[in-house]
Amino acid sequence: MHIADGIISPEVCAGMAVASAGAVGFSLRQLKKTETTKTIPLTGMMGALVFAGQMVNFPLVVAPVSGHLLGGVLASVILGPWAGCLVVTLVLVVQWALFADGGMVALGVNVFNMGVVGALGGYAVYAGLRRWMPSPRGTITSAIIAAWLSVLAASTMFCLEFALSGHRDYSLPNLFALMTTFHSLIGLGEALITGFVLSVVLDQRPDLVYGQPSLDIMETEPPRRSWQATPLRTAVIGLMVALAVAGFLAPFASGYSDGLEAVAEKMGFDAHVDADPQVLVLDEYQVPLGSEDSWFMSKLSVSIAGIGGTLAVFAMALLLGRGLKPGAEAGHAT
Amino acid sequence: MPRDFLDPYSRGNSICHRLPDRLKILLVLAMIITALFVPPENWPVHGCMAAAVFLAMTLAGIPLRYLLVRLMFFFPMIMGLAIAVPASTGFTKGWDVMATVLLRGTLSFMGVLWLVNVTPFDRLLVALRKLGLPQMLAAILAFMYRYIFVVFDELERMREGRRARTFSKQGLLASWKTNAQLIGMLLIRSMNRAERVHGAMCARGFDGEIRTLDS
Repeated sequence: MHIADGIISPEVCAGMAVASAGAVGFSLRQLKKTETTKTIPLTGMMGALVFAGQMVNFPLVVAPVSGHLLGGVLASVILGPWAGCLVVTLVLVVQWALFADGGMVALGVNVFNMGVVGALGGYAVYAGLRRWMPSPRGTITSAIIAAWLSVLAASTMFCLEFALSGHRDYSLPNLFALMTTFHSLIGLGEALITGFVLSVVLDQRPDLVYGQPSLDIMETEPPRRSWQATPLRTAVIGLMVALAVAGFLAPFASGYSDGLEAVAEKMGFDAHVDADPQVLVLDEYQVPLGSEDSWFMSKLSVSIAGIGGTLAVFAMALLLGRGLKPGAEAGHAT
Repeated sequence: MPRDFLDPYSRGNSICHRLPDRLKILLVLAMIITALFVPPENWPVHGCMAAAVFLAMTLAGIPLRYLLVRLMFFFPMIMGLAIAVPASTGFTKGWDVMATVLLRGTLSFMGVLWLVNVTPFDRLLVALRKLGLPQMLAAILAFMYRYIFVVFDELERMREGRRARTFSKQGLLASWKTNAQLIGMLLIRSMNRAERVHGAMCARGFDGEIRTLDS
């Protein structure tokens, strides 16, 4: 997942670095608002834990290949979105500074993809889902879905940044399909591990989870309410399903079959590659994203994408986290 | 876990180690940006930079063997992303993009590898702090670095305990579950440790502000 230098153009990297710095700065400010003396030890220890947790290898079906935890959503679920974003950022910094993992110029891109979109955006999904499923089982389910989506969102961000980098000779729909297919599998692993780990924590120390009632017996818990379908909730669920279909099923319907056909043709069914009509079709996909001659446009769109991406994530957080609050408050009143 | 497990050559005393840390960071940053902007047609420039990095590594006393081993781990990672470019056109074109990505990526990787192996992490942190890293972020980073080793050792102890009690090979799902439970227990233990450390810090007058001798 770590993007090395040389893949994303310096202009895009600069735009993403500005966006990341803004988002991390905002997280830092949010964290300072609720700062206690505990913030530094807890956040730092969580960073060390995610770092060590990534060293635990999970065997896959193919023997030498193994997966590991990424931990963005896990950190957010335990410590809250702002600290979670910082944890992912710092893990990336340490991996850069100790392993030379992930590029120096591309650090901003990595922080944006995994820390801002992954941890903050992932938490927004988790928080939104948990309002409908407040039980412990619901918490785990929400985290699993959020973990899967966070990996997919990061890979989608990579495709976008790659497209803005102005490389020649590639096809964005196919690249997107390849990345999405691959990362939906990685995301499945991440989701499973996050779910298993969270179930252990909820079983042993449920008070560690952010927003969960503390174990203090003097604090009484507000009555939990079972899920009810209101127009707003129905609308939000419908929107999310639509987005998921548009984002992740569409490439399977169009781009991926193209890719398979192209491979099949290349593998010997068709020797006349230059007569391949597909190349023309794919060239059209490239033009609006400014790959060859619109250097200025790509530069401009970088900053727009950076700002837009951040705004989108925060808007998502607000919508999912706060938009449903009236319903929750009404629940408390009854 | 030994202290220099992560960056084995960073505590040397060569001319590279003695250079000002901020200069080294800016030097590597400048090199990477140059490598990214110079078009691949001007490959002699990249060649010269590679030669310079090799020279710097030799001066710093970093063995070639270490570099090769690290490159061996690095290549599959960048290859996984780079191969997607020709793969997206059904392997008809995009090979030159892939070559460019590999060339620039490898060069930048070597530059950063040199930087982290001639600058110990604590000094890197001070340099980054002087370059504008927020104080709270630096404090959390320092705390995190301090406890990485402790958490690693805890993880090793737990793994050893599991090995001692596991006699047969587990199935795929079962091994995923035990591994995740391992991480879950590690998380709980780490959070407990953070609470104990926090208590100890408060007992010594910690008020949320980290003070160092050089700040």
